[in-house]
Amino acid sequence: MKSHADMLETACKEFEADLVLYYYGDGVETERSRVEDHLQGCGHCNRFLEDLHKLLPQISQPREFSPAFWADYYDEVVEKLTARQEKKLWWRAFITPMRVWLVPAFGTAVVAILAFALVLGKGSWQANPERPVEKIPQEIMADVNQLEFFKSMDMLESLRLIESLDRTKTGAKNI
Amino acid sequence: MCQKGESQFFEVLVRRYMEKAFRIALDFTHNVEEAKDLSQDALLRAFSRIQQFDGRSSFYTWFYRLVVNICLDHTRRKGKIFWERLGDEPEDGFTRKELTDDMSRPDREAMAGEAKRRVDQTLEAMPKKQRTAFLLRNHQGLSIADIAKVLETTEGTVRVYLHRAVAALRQSLLEFV
Repeated sequence: MKSHADMLETACKEFEADLVLYYYGDGVETERSRVEDHLQGCGHCNRFLEDLHKLLPQISQPREFSPAFWADYYDEVVEKLTARQEKKLWWRAFITPMRVWLVPAFGTAVVAILAFALVLGKGSWQANPERPVEKIPQEIMADVNQLEFFKSMDMLESLRLIESLDRTKTGAKNI
Repeated sequence: MCQKGESQFFEVLVRRYMEKAFRIALDFTHNVEEAKDLSQDALLRAFSRIQQFDGRSSFYTWFYRLVVNICLDHTRRKGKIFWERLGDEPEDGFTRKELTDDMSRPDREAMAGEAKRRVDQTLEAMPKKQRTAFLLRNHQGLSIADIAKVLETTEGTVRVYLHRAVAALRQSLLEFV
C-alpha cells in the first residue's frame, strides 16, 4: 500500500519558489498573475499550494498569554532597567564630579612637570658628550700601556736583528 | 534627553515591542522563561543603544535585528535548539483537528507531538539564516524586504531561504497532511 507521502506530488520546478511567495502574498503583480495562470491548468501546483495552506498556518500557531503575563513581563523589564541604572550610578556618582576639573588639572600638571624638568636640567643636556679620559676604566688603560710596551719590545727586537745583520756584514768585509 | 522623556520613551518602546520581541525569542528557544529573558534583554539594549539607531532603516527592522542577533547568539552558546516534549502544550497548533480528524484522543496527541517534533527537528537542521528568514516571514509576518534588512542580505537571498525552508518543512510533514 502506498503511503500518503508517496501519493503527494511536487510542484513544477520552475513554479515552486514562486508558489511559496504567492502563498505569502509576496512577489510583484506580473509574477503573481503568471502563477495564477499556471495554477488554472496544473493539478500538481494546486496540490502543493493546498499543502502550504494546511501546513504553514499550523506551524505558526501563536500561543496565547494572559494579560497578567504581560503585566508581569512589563514589571520585570522595568525592574531590570532600574537595577541596571542603579548599578551604573555608583561609579558615575564618583566619576562625574571629577570629570569637570579632571582635564584642566591634568593639563596643568603636565605643563608644570615639563617646566620643572627644563629649569632643573638646563645646561646638563648635550647631544654627544665626549667621554673624559679619566673616566676610562683602569683595566683598559693598563691594556693600552701593555700594548705600548709590546710595541717597544718589537722595536728592540728589530734593532737587535739589524745590528746582528750589520755585524755579519762587517765581519765578512774584514775577512 | 531628560529623565522624564527617557522613562516615557522606555514605556512606549516596551509596550509596543514586548510582544513581538517575546514571540521571536519564543520561536527560537521554545521556552517561555528563556524567551522572556532574551526579549527583555533586547528591549533594554534597544533602550540603551538608541543613539546608535541612525534612521537609515525603520526602527522596527533595527529592533528586529537586535532581537534576532541576541537569539542567534543564545542558540549558538547553547549549542542546539531544544526539543519540545511530547504533548507539553495542548494549545499548540498540532493538536488541532484538521491533522487527525478520525483518530482517538491519545492517537491524536501522539500524532500532534510527533508532527511538532518533526517541525522542530527540521527547523533545527536548517542553516541559521534560513531558519530565521522562515520564522520572521511565517511567524512574524515581516515582508521579504524587511527580512533582508534584518539579516543584512538581499531580497533574492531571502526568497531562496524561504523557498528552501518551506520545501524542507513540507517534505518532512507530508505524512501529516
